[in-house]
Amino acid sequence: MQDQDYDNHDGTSDATPGGYPDRRRPGELAFAGVLLAASLYLLYSAYGIAGFEALSSPGAVPMATTVVMVISALVVVVRTARLHTFAKETISGSILPRIVIIFTGLLIAYGVLLKPLGFLPTSALFLVASIRLLSDRSWGFVFAVSAGSLLCIWLIFRIVFTVLMPVGIVPEAEIIQFFRAFVHNGAA
Amino acid sequence: MDSLLAFFTVFTQPNLLLLVGIGTFAGVYIGAIPGLSVTMAVSILISFTFSWDVYPAISLMIGIYMGGVYGGARTAILLNIPGAPSAIATAMDGYPLAQRGEAGTAIGITTVMSFFGGFIGIAVLAVAAPFVSDFALKFQPRDYMLLAVLGILLVGSLSTGSLAKGIFAGAFGIAVGTVGMDPLTFTERFTFDIPLMRSGISFIAVMIGMFGVSEALLQLHHIGLPAIRQKITRIVPSWGTLRKHLPLSLQTSAIGVMIGALPGTGGDIAALMAYDHAKRVTKNPERPFGKGAIEGLVAPETANNAAVGGAFIPMMTLGIPGDAVTAIMIGALFIHGLNPGPMLMIDKPDMFWFIVGALVMANFFMLLFGLTGIRLFVKIVEMPRAVLIPLILLLSIVGAYAVNNSITDVYWMLGFGFFGYFMRHYGYPLGPVILGVILSRLLDDNWRRAIISEREDLGRFSWGILSSPLSLTLFVAVVLIFVSQTPVWSRAKSVLGRRQGQ
Repeated sequence: MQDQDYDNHDGTSDATPGGYPDRRRPGELAFAGVLLAASLYLLYSAYGIAGFEALSSPGAVPMATTVVMVISALVVVVRTARLHTFAKETISGSILPRIVIIFTGLLIAYGVLLKPLGFLPTSALFLVASIRLLSDRSWGFVFAVSAGSLLCIWLIFRIVFTVLMPVGIVPEAEIIQFFRAFVHNGAA
Repeated sequence: MDSLLAFFTVFTQPNLLLLVGIGTFAGVYIGAIPGLSVTMAVSILISFTFSWDVYPAISLMIGIYMGGVYGGARTAILLNIPGAPSAIATAMDGYPLAQRGEAGTAIGITTVMSFFGGFIGIAVLAVAAPFVSDFALKFQPRDYMLLAVLGILLVGSLSTGSLAKGIFAGAFGIAVGTVGMDPLTFTERFTFDIPLMRSGISFIAVMIGMFGVSEALLQLHHIGLPAIRQKITRIVPSWGTLRKHLPLSLQTSAIGVMIGALPGTGGDIAALMAYDHAKRVTKNPERPFGKGAIEGLVAPETANNAAVGGAFIPMMTLGIPGDAVTAIMIGALFIHGLNPGPMLMIDKPDMFWFIVGALVMANFFMLLFGLTGIRLFVKIVEMPRAVLIPLILLLSIVGAYAVNNSITDVYWMLGFGFFGYFMRHYGYPLGPVILGVILSRLLDDNWRRAIISEREDLGRFSWGILSSPLSLTLFVAVVLIFVSQTPVWSRAKSVLGRRQGQ
C-alpha cells in the first residue's frame, strides 16, 4: 500500500491531487511563496481597477477573488512551512528532471519558430528531435514515425477540420492545388 | 412529440450516429491510453470542431466523454495504470483479478456495469432536468452566484487534497476569467497596460495547457514503464453474477448521479466515493477488497458512468458545469452561439433531447466496443510513450492555435501548461481553475446584478439571502463545506463522539 502512495504523488486527478499530506516536496514552499507574492501583487492591481468606489464596480469581483487568493495562499504557506521535507525526493529527481527542462526548451523553440518557418517544417523538427530524445530507436525509425504521424495530423486537420496553420516556407496551398488539379484531370 | 423527434435525431441521421460511434470508439482508447484523458481530448477537440455545426460537434464530444470515462478501466485492470482519473479506484481490485488470470471476467463486469450505471445516469437526466429547469427559472442572480461558489468549493472539499489549495485554484481561475476589458463598463482589468491582454485570455488555451501540456510533461517521468501482457478469456459475465450485484450497483449509480450532478465534481470523485461505500456496505465479499473483490469493480464503474448523465443536469438547466468535461462543453455551446441555462431548455428543448439521445446511443456503442476488439486494444495501448507524448504536445499546440489563429494563444497555453505541471506536483487541483474561468463571467454578472437590484446595500443583500429558502439553503451549504474543513469541526465531532460514547 505504501508503494501505491508513492505512485500517486504526482497528482493524477482532482480526486487525488499530488504531494503528501504530512510531508512537503522539494520546492513546495518556494512555489507557495511565489503564489502568495503573485496574489498580493494581483490584489494591488485589482485595487487599482476601481478602488472601493462601489460594490457593483468592475473591480469588486477581482478584488474579492484576489483577497481569497491571498488568504488561501497564506494558509498554504503557513501549513507547508510546518511540514518536514520529504527526504527521498530532490528537485532534479522528482519535480523537474532534465528531460522536462529539455522539453520545455523544445516547446518554447517550437513557439518561436512556428510563425517564420511554418507549421510543417517546425513540427517535423519537433517530432524528430523529441522522439529521438525519448526512444533509443534508430534514426530511420524516428524519421519514418515522425513523417507518418505528421502527414496524418496534417491531412486530418487541414482537410477534415479545415484548420489553417501558419504556412511559412512551404507552399501548402500550391501543393493542395496541384493535387486537386491532378485528381480532377485524372477523373476527367 | 417534438421532444420525441429530437430524441431520435441521432438515430435518424446516419452522419450523427456515425460521429457518436467514432467518438465512443475513440473515447474508449483515449480513456485507456495513460496520459490521454477525456478532458484533454475534449478540450483539444473543441478548437477543431468550432467550424462545424453544433449537432455534429456535440455528437463527437458526447461519444468521447462516455467512452473515455469507461476506457480508463481497461488499463487499470490490465496494467495497474488507471488510463483515466475516473478509473483510479478500479485498479485497486481490477489488477489483482487480472493477476489471477481473470482479466476477461474483470473487463466483462466493468463493461456491463458501466453500461448499467451510464443508463441510470441518463434516465435521471431525462426525468429530472425538465423539473430542475422549471425550478431554475425561480433562481435569483444571488443564487447563481452562490451556486458557482459552491461548485468551486466542492471540488476542494470532496477530494483527498487540501481545501485551501482547492480554494486558491478556484479563485485563481475566476481571476484569470476577469482578465481583459470588463464587458459592462469597458474598464481594463489585470491588463497591466499590455495591449494583448485587453482581449482577455482564451479559456481554451488555459484548458489545453492545464490538461494537455501539463499531463504530457508529467508523463515524461514514466517514459520507461514496462507493459505487462495479459491473456484474456471469457468476457461476457454470467447473468447470476450480474443479478447478485444489482442492489449494490443501484446504490453506487445513485451516488454517481448525485456526485455528478453537484456542480464541479465528476466521475473521478464519484468513483472513489462509491468504492468507499461498497467497502462499508459489503459484509462478506467473496474476496477481500484490494485483492480482487468484484464489488470493488462494480462500485466505481457504475458510479463514474452514472456521473456522466448527472453532470449534464446542472449544465443543461443552470449553465453551471457538473464536472470539468461539461465545463468544456459549455464553452463549446457558447462558441456555437448557444447560452446554456434555464432559457436554453425552454427556447431549444430539441438541444436537450438531442443530447439525451446521443448519450443513450453512446452508451450502447460503449457496450459494443467494450465487449469486442480486445486484441486490437492491447496493441494500441502498447503504443510507445516516446511517440505518444510528442504527438500530444503537437496536438495541443495545433489546438490552441486553431481557435483564434493566434500565436499568443499558443504562448498562453504553454504558460498555463508549465504552471499546471507544478500545480499537479504540489497538490493543487486543476478542476477548480477551469471551473473558475468558465464561471467567472457568470459570477461577476450575477453579483453585480444582485447588488445593483438591492441598491448597493449589503444589508439588504444579506437579508435577501436569509429570507429566501433557496438562497438560504445554498448559503448554509457553502458555510458548512467551509466549516467542515476547519479544526473547529473536527474538535466538535470528537466532543460529540465522546458524549455519545459515555
